[in-house]
Amino acid sequence: MSDLNVKVGLIGKLDMLKFKNMAKVREKAIQKAPAKEISGTFPVNENAKALHPDALELTVDNIIARGGAKTFVLKRPDGGPLPYFRAGQYLSLKLPLDGSLVTRSYSLCSSPKEALNGSYAITIRANPGGFAADRLLRDLKPGDKLIASAPQGFFYYEDLRDAGHVVGLAGGSGITPFLSMARAIADGIEDFSLTLLYGSRREEDVLFRGELDEIARSCPKFKVIYVLSDEERDCFEHGFLTAELIRKYAPADEDYSVFLCGPEAMYRFLQPEIEELGLPPRRFRRKLIDVTKSPWACEGYPAEAEGKSFSIRVKQGPEEWTVPASADEPVLVAIERAGIKAPSRCRAGECGWCRSRLLEGTVFIPKENEMRRWADVHYGYIHPCCSFPTSDLVLEIPGEFY
Amino acid sequence: MPTYDVVVVGAGNAGLSAALQCQLAGRKTLLIEKHNVPGGAATSFVRGRFEIEPSLHELCDFGPADNPGDVRRILDAYGVKLDWYECRDCFRVVSRYSDGSPMDVTMPSGIQNFIDKMEEYVPGSREKTTALFDLFQEVLDGIAYITASKGHADSKVLQAKYPNMLRTGAYSTKKVFDALKLPQKAQDILSTYWSYLGVDMEHLAFIHYAAMVHKYVQRSAYIPAHTSHELSTAMVERFRELGGEIWFNCRAEEFLFEGDKLCGVRTNLGDIDCGYCLANINPDIIYGSMMPKELIPEREKKLSAARGRIMGGRMYTAYFCLDAAPEELGITDYSIFLSGTADSAKEYKNILGGMETNEYCIFLCYNIANPGFSPEGTCVCSFTTFGAPEEWGRLQQEDYFKFKTEGAKKWLRILKEKTGIDLCGHIEEMEVASPWTFARFLGVPEGSVYGYETRDWDGMMARMMMLGADYPIKGLRPIGAAGPRGDGYSATIICGQLMAANALKDLKAWEGGEQ
Repeated sequence: MSDLNVKVGLIGKLDMLKFKNMAKVREKAIQKAPAKEISGTFPVNENAKALHPDALELTVDNIIARGGAKTFVLKRPDGGPLPYFRAGQYLSLKLPLDGSLVTRSYSLCSSPKEALNGSYAITIRANPGGFAADRLLRDLKPGDKLIASAPQGFFYYEDLRDAGHVVGLAGGSGITPFLSMARAIADGIEDFSLTLLYGSRREEDVLFRGELDEIARSCPKFKVIYVLSDEERDCFEHGFLTAELIRKYAPADEDYSVFLCGPEAMYRFLQPEIEELGLPPRRFRRKLIDVTKSPWACEGYPAEAEGKSFSIRVKQGPEEWTVPASADEPVLVAIERAGIKAPSRCRAGECGWCRSRLLEGTVFIPKENEMRRWADVHYGYIHPCCSFPTSDLVLEIPGEFY
Repeated sequence: MPTYDVVVVGAGNAGLSAALQCQLAGRKTLLIEKHNVPGGAATSFVRGRFEIEPSLHELCDFGPADNPGDVRRILDAYGVKLDWYECRDCFRVVSRYSDGSPMDVTMPSGIQNFIDKMEEYVPGSREKTTALFDLFQEVLDGIAYITASKGHADSKVLQAKYPNMLRTGAYSTKKVFDALKLPQKAQDILSTYWSYLGVDMEHLAFIHYAAMVHKYVQRSAYIPAHTSHELSTAMVERFRELGGEIWFNCRAEEFLFEGDKLCGVRTNLGDIDCGYCLANINPDIIYGSMMPKELIPEREKKLSAARGRIMGGRMYTAYFCLDAAPEELGITDYSIFLSGTADSAKEYKNILGGMETNEYCIFLCYNIANPGFSPEGTCVCSFTTFGAPEEWGRLQQEDYFKFKTEGAKKWLRILKEKTGIDLCGHIEEMEVASPWTFARFLGVPEGSVYGYETRDWDGMMARMMMLGADYPIKGLRPIGAAGPRGDGYSATIICGQLMAANALKDLKAWEGGEQ
C-alpha cells in the first residue's frame, strides 16, 4: 500500500489541501447561487399526475338506453380532457349506496380518442341480484356526480407481445372492452386485426349491434360474428363459443391471440375449449374474473366454515372498528357494509389496491383470484376483495384518499 | 391526536432503514407510506404467472455471511432476515472502446480474478490495475474512518493512514485514472459502472466511484430470492415486531410547525403529532410544496438554486416475461451493459439527447442469478436506461403508450444486433416503466431515483463533510437518494441509518434542555 506511487503529475502535496477544501468549495458554490423560491412541481410529475390521478370526479352527461342496459357518458365537471387510456381498460367507480361506500368496475366502451375530447362512456347491464348495477340503472340521472379511479387494468393489446390478429371472445356485457378496441382500431389508435365472436342468449340481448356493424363495414381490420345460444336466426351462429367456432373464424395461416371477456360461467365453460386449441400461454389473455358468489363450491374450501358468521376487527391508521362478517362474502364486503372508507378497485384480486395485513385469523382465497406477491403470501398480506373469512379476523387496511 | 416520537414519511429503502433504527433505539415510531405497498422502488408487481422486480439489479456492499459488507451488517443489526442469491460475474459489456474499436468483455467478481481478466483483455495493465485496487481499498478504509469519526476526523490520522485518499479525493475519476497512467482500454472497461451513479467519469468524484467499484468487485452483488418486495416486506415485518406502526395509503400533505420547530404532519388520515420527522422525500418537493415558505432558510434556497434542479437517473425500464428458459434464448450473462461508447461523457450527452440518440441500456436476466425467479421453462428480463427530462416533460398523453413501447422495441433490436439474443416471439407478459411511472409511484422529481446529481462540487464526500450545515430545519430531515450518500439501495439504506442516528442525537440533546 505505502509503495503506491500516485505522487505524479497533478497529484501531489497540494491535493491534500484540496481534499480538506472540498467543503469550502461546496459552500462557495452554494453561496454564489441566488436565493430563489423553490418550486415543488416538475413537468414530468405533472404529466404523470394528469395521466394517473388518485381519483376522478365525473359528471353524468348523457344516458343512452339500450334494452336492458344503459350507456352513461361521463365528463369532467369543467368539461376538460380526461386521462387517456388503452382500449380495454376499466374505471372503478366509488359509489355511496345505503350508507356503504362500494366500488364497481366497468370497462370503458368509448374510444381513447374521446377522452381527449373530454368524455368517457361505460355501459351497465341489468343484472338480476346485482345490487349496484340495478341501483345505478334506476337512480343515475344526468348531472349526477361520480367518483372514479383513473382508467386501469391490463386487458389491452400490446403489439410487441400479442399476435397481429386477435380473436375476441365476448359474452354478455363483456362486449364493452372489445367495443373500445374496435373503436380504437377504427380511429387509427390501435393497429391490429380483431375478429370478434360475440355470444348472447337471444338476438334482443345483443348490445351495440348497430355500432359494431357500422365499424365492421368501414374498417377492414374488424369483423364481428354474433353467436346466439338460445335461438336460431339467419346470419347468426347458433350455440356456444367453442374451440370449433374459434377455429372456423381464426386466420388459418397466421398466428393469432385469443382475448376473452365474459361472465364467470363463460370462463368455466371456455377453459377446456381454449386448452383444446393448444395455444401457448402467451397467446391467451382474459379480463379478470369476478370473485365467485359460491366460495363453498371452490376447490379447497374448508367445509366447516360454510354459512358461519364471524367478526372482523378492522384497523385503519388511528381508527379501529369491529364489524360482522359472513363466510359467504369477501372480507371487503363486510368492511364496506359497515360504512368504512376502504380502498379497492378491481375486486378480483388483481390490482392489489386493497392489500391488507391479516394480523389474526384465516381466510379462503379462490384459486383464480390468487394473484398476490410471494412475500405477501409469506408474511400474511391478503387482498380482502377476494378473501372469504373462515374465522374471526384482525385486519389492518390501508387508508383512502377521498 | 395520535402522538409519536418520530414519524418517518415514506417506506422506501431509506425510510424503512430509518424507522427500524428509531424503533430499535426505543423511540415510538410511526412509518407512513403513501402507496399501499412498502419499498418505493424496492417493490414488485405481478403480471400473469410472473412476479417482476422493478428496480434492483445488484445490491452493493452486502457480501456473504462470513464476509459481510456494511449493508448486511446493518440488516443483521436490525434483525431483518431473508434468503439471497449471489450475482457471480461483475458484468459483461458490449460497447466500443474510446478509440472506436469494438469491446465485448466479461468481468468476474473477486479482485484477483478481475485484475487477471483485465490483463487478458488489456495486456500490460496488471501493475496499474493492481495499484488502482490498492488505492480503492485505502479510499474505502478512509471513508470508513471519516464516517466513524462522525464529523470529527483527525487530519493527522488522515494524513498518516490515508494519504492517497487525500491526494485523489478531490478529483474526478477520469483525472485520477489519467494520473495513474491506467491504460485507456482498462479505463474504458473500468468506467462501465458509471451509470450506477449517473454522472460521467469527468464529473464523478473518484472517491465515490472507488468505493462503489471496490465493493462490487470484492464482495460481488446480491439479490433477494423473491424480488426487492421481499426485502421491503421483511423490513416492515421486523419493524412491526419491534413495536413500530406502519400506515399504508397515508400521504403526508404538509409538515406542521410550532415556531421554527416541527411538531407534526398533516395526512389524508388526519394530523399526527410528533417530535421529529424523517422524510423520504426530495428536498425541493418538501420546500416547494409541503411547508411554510417563511421557514425555509436562505441557504436552502441557494443550495437548491446551485443544484439547478438537475437530477440524476430518470429511469426507463422495459420488463419482459418470456416463455422460454434462458438457455433456450442463449442468455448466459446476468447483466449485459449495452452501450454506444465507453466514453461516458459522450454517452451521457447522447442519453440526455433523448430516445433517438440514446444508445445505452443495461440488459438483465434475473434467472441467471436466481434460477427459480420465474416458473420452470420461463425467464424474466429487463432493459434499463435513463430518460431525458425535456423529452418526457414534453410528451403528450396520447403519444405516451406508443412512445414507451417504441423504446422497448429499440432495446430488443439492439440486444439482437449486439448479442444475437432474440426475445421476440417469446414475450408472454411485458410492462414498461417510464420516468412518468417512477414520478407517479415514488413522487420523485422527473422520475429520478438518483436524487440530485452527485456532480463536481456536490459529490458524496463533500456532502458528508457538510451534514451539519445541510439540515437546518429543526425536527425535519429529508432522507433518501437526494441525501449525502447518493443513489442506490445500499446508499439509501445507509443514509436512513445515518440520518436516523442524527435525529436520535437531536432528540436526546433537546430532552437535555438544548434548543
